[in-house]
Amino acid sequence: MTVRVQPSNTHLVEIRLRPEHADAEGAAALTLLRAQGLTSLIETRVSRLYEIKGSLSANQVLQATKDLLCDAVTQEHRVVTPSPAPMNGANFWRVEVWLKPTVTDPVGETVRDAIADMGLPKPESVRCALVYRLVGRANKAALEKAVSKTLANPLIHRAVVSEAHP
Amino acid sequence: MSTAVDETLTILGKSPKDLRALGEARHLSLNDAEWAAIQAHFKGLKREPSLAELETIAQTWSEHCKHKTFTSPIKYTEGKKTRTIKNLFQETIVAATAAVKKPWCLSVFEDNAGVVAFGKKWALAFKAETHNHPSALEPYGGAETGVGGVVRDVLGCGLGAKPVLNTDVFCFGTPDYKGALPEGSHHPSRTLRGVVAGVRDYGNRMGIPTAGGGIWFDDDYRLNPLVFVGTVGILPQWAVGKKVSPGDLIVAVGGRTGRDGLHGATFSSSNLGADAPASAVQIGHAINEKRVLDALLRARERKLYSSVTDCGAGGFSSAIGELGADCGARVRLEDAKLKASDLESWEIWLSESQERMVLAVPPKSLKALEAVFAAEGCETSVLGEFTKNGRLLVTHHDNAVVDLDMKFLHKGLPRVERTATWTGPATSKPAGGTEKKLSAALREAIGNVNVCSREWVIRQYDHEVQGGTVIKPLQGVRHDGPGDACVIWPHAATGDMDDFTGFTVAHGLNPDYGRIDPYWMALACVDEALRNLTCVGADPSRAALLDNFCWASPEDPKQLGALIRAAEGCRDAAKGFSAPFISGKDSLYNQSKDEKGKELPIPGTLLISAIAPVPDVRKAVTMDFKGPGNALYLIGRTNDELGGSLYHKILGRSGGEPPKVQPATALDGFKSLHAAINRGMVLSAHDLSDGGLAVAAAEMGFTGEFGCLLDLDEMPRDPRIFSNETLLFSESPSRILVEVAPENESAFLRHFGKGAKAAPVRRVGQTTANPILKVVGLDGSSIMEEPLRELKDAWQKTLPAALG
Repeated sequence: MTVRVQPSNTHLVEIRLRPEHADAEGAAALTLLRAQGLTSLIETRVSRLYEIKGSLSANQVLQATKDLLCDAVTQEHRVVTPSPAPMNGANFWRVEVWLKPTVTDPVGETVRDAIADMGLPKPESVRCALVYRLVGRANKAALEKAVSKTLANPLIHRAVVSEAHP
Repeated sequence: MSTAVDETLTILGKSPKDLRALGEARHLSLNDAEWAAIQAHFKGLKREPSLAELETIAQTWSEHCKHKTFTSPIKYTEGKKTRTIKNLFQETIVAATAAVKKPWCLSVFEDNAGVVAFGKKWALAFKAETHNHPSALEPYGGAETGVGGVVRDVLGCGLGAKPVLNTDVFCFGTPDYKGALPEGSHHPSRTLRGVVAGVRDYGNRMGIPTAGGGIWFDDDYRLNPLVFVGTVGILPQWAVGKKVSPGDLIVAVGGRTGRDGLHGATFSSSNLGADAPASAVQIGHAINEKRVLDALLRARERKLYSSVTDCGAGGFSSAIGELGADCGARVRLEDAKLKASDLESWEIWLSESQERMVLAVPPKSLKALEAVFAAEGCETSVLGEFTKNGRLLVTHHDNAVVDLDMKFLHKGLPRVERTATWTGPATSKPAGGTEKKLSAALREAIGNVNVCSREWVIRQYDHEVQGGTVIKPLQGVRHDGPGDACVIWPHAATGDMDDFTGFTVAHGLNPDYGRIDPYWMALACVDEALRNLTCVGADPSRAALLDNFCWASPEDPKQLGALIRAAEGCRDAAKGFSAPFISGKDSLYNQSKDEKGKELPIPGTLLISAIAPVPDVRKAVTMDFKGPGNALYLIGRTNDELGGSLYHKILGRSGGEPPKVQPATALDGFKSLHAAINRGMVLSAHDLSDGGLAVAAAEMGFTGEFGCLLDLDEMPRDPRIFSNETLLFSESPSRILVEVAPENESAFLRHFGKGAKAAPVRRVGQTTANPILKVVGLDGSSIMEEPLRELKDAWQKTLPAALG
């Protein structure tokens, strides 16, 4: 789990599977990306990203994260800043797939209501995204094209592809 | 009318060309005759229409809402004869239902779903819908909202039914399609993954079992996938009727209204192109719909409302327009709960935001109703009231937005005569292709993408939730064999643990037969659906049918001619099988430009869904062989009907006769089998469809892990057949392979009648302990000996391999 505090009361919370657990979603995504010609990719792991906007303190977001969003048995639960260590010279990529602002985000709406049900201040909005952390060589343009054909539908999604070096 | 808030559009005095351009710019999908009728109406009123009025008319008159093709006159030429069909729907589907006159049909073609009696106290509401165009653009969201929509249809049927089963049938391009695709269209495998995920997420999250369906692959669906979703709901018989009274309040419940999903109805009435509006695609919110479901059923039990309907295509405009069609309605849009405050009035009125329902509530019940919905965290808003002046008046902050005569809105649609032609299939002898060894052909048939295991899809669905799935979609000793249909015991909804009556739903679909003759396709589809449900123990004489036509553009006379053939096939099948149609839907204009810019129409597709009660779920049977040494009986005659068959496809052969159904004989066989099942004399039964006897016997064998020995010379058949291949792979309809214990053989046979219309039944072999499919040919020599394990491997690996 990664919590990044953003300006103007926007919190970004990332929840991911503990590394010792096999990530079936990640494996499926890897198969799809490799089928698009990105055969140098060797691993993909999926995490979930929540953008919580509203008058919640960092501690309140942390509480919501621990009690609502994160399964303590299978998922990571520690506050860290994102700093992936370089691994054997391979490239690291991070792909965030968000629903466009005009598209209803049912999961986000449910999380927003659930945070309020916990007795915490009700966020103004919650949007969620899927984050794919890729290991392997690729170039950005090819990756963006492959993502638009597999993991994101440009009609409703906004995909952000970035190199995930520290 | 006072000043409208919306922009007023100038249409009076404009040329048809200008009006067409205006329609295209606003995605109105109105034709010249409709524009002329609108012009004439507003000329009479001496004013210009507001944008909201034009949008309301366009939505109400869309193909999606008014089914113009099925209800308008058609000049139909078949061979050398030409005749006029006044109303195809009335003359085929409705006429057949009227002719068979079943007292257990409680509501047909009127409500959001068809309703049949289920015992003395309960009724079943059944509806199947398509969500093709949205699923082509965004497979996940399109399929999800399709499921949400059909669930709301059942919720909005009568005074509300509790959904107890979801079904899904898909038609896609082959998942390993290698050819080019035009810009913007998804690869069939991506469409498949997204659609399956959408159906899965919505059904599973709402707690409705998804336990029936099928998939058909054909590359002509690559640009226009078909997504049929169905729901069965259960409701008490007292709640089947509903009536709006003037003075009832118009109450919207459920989700808020946003800009999402504008133009869904008009969008579905035109060809799919690259310029489709992005707003037509939405993501569903299953939890919101579950809240509406729970609250609505609670309010129904307390009789807090007098009528209900769902907000589907056209949003408030069509829901309130439909409810108030016979009286009138006065709507104040400022009271609607909105997702964003900057919505224009026409957007609020037309938005197709999901998970919303509209109720007609007597004023004295409003407080209690609001409390019931609030307890589920579900918002309500009073939008106005139903009136008795026959007008639809919509205002937004005291400014009139729509002021239309209900009569013009619902009856003013001009009927344009279309032309249709059907030249008939060229009677051709089978030709072309290369012969294959029987064993190779069988392996190819069983691993064919249209026959192979659907476990990859089925396992993603929760088919057990509600605890009533008695016969499951996957059957046999390892729970992975292909069942004919599921059997549901809805005790969780009825609360009656002593009543063992259940029901089943089955489907029939085969566009390959339709390529030869859509008339025989329709009969074959009805026959397939009925024999599937008979196989699990349902009563075929109590079956009710749904039709879903998916066709290319009806502007093309040949396409329309084929559609008429199919509709006439439906009529004759319903009459012949004495099975009424209770509801249905059509989706037209399923064609788009391919990568070379050429129009690619889908093959004319008819989905028949059948529902029938199972008198005692404890006697339901599955299709797997139950033990060695049991007799195998084949019901139904085998003819040389390989036209459109899987065997011809495998050989690359064309031509031949499509399967031709004899409904009277078929029904006799089904009824006899049902009587035998009801007496507990049948161990297993499986229908013969794609791949004929060879595939059916192999499936029963590897699912039960017992082999069988079949003697083709014993098959009831056309005596002119001298070919083992024809007997093994012919797809003659109405045939079922049945396993009977030796001690029950004579009692089993007593159920089969004698006479001209009696279905033939013969012992064709027996089950064996050794898991091998062994077949003795017409000359008495062994022609096939295939290990079932290898056949099962071939059957199971196709879909996972194609999807990677």
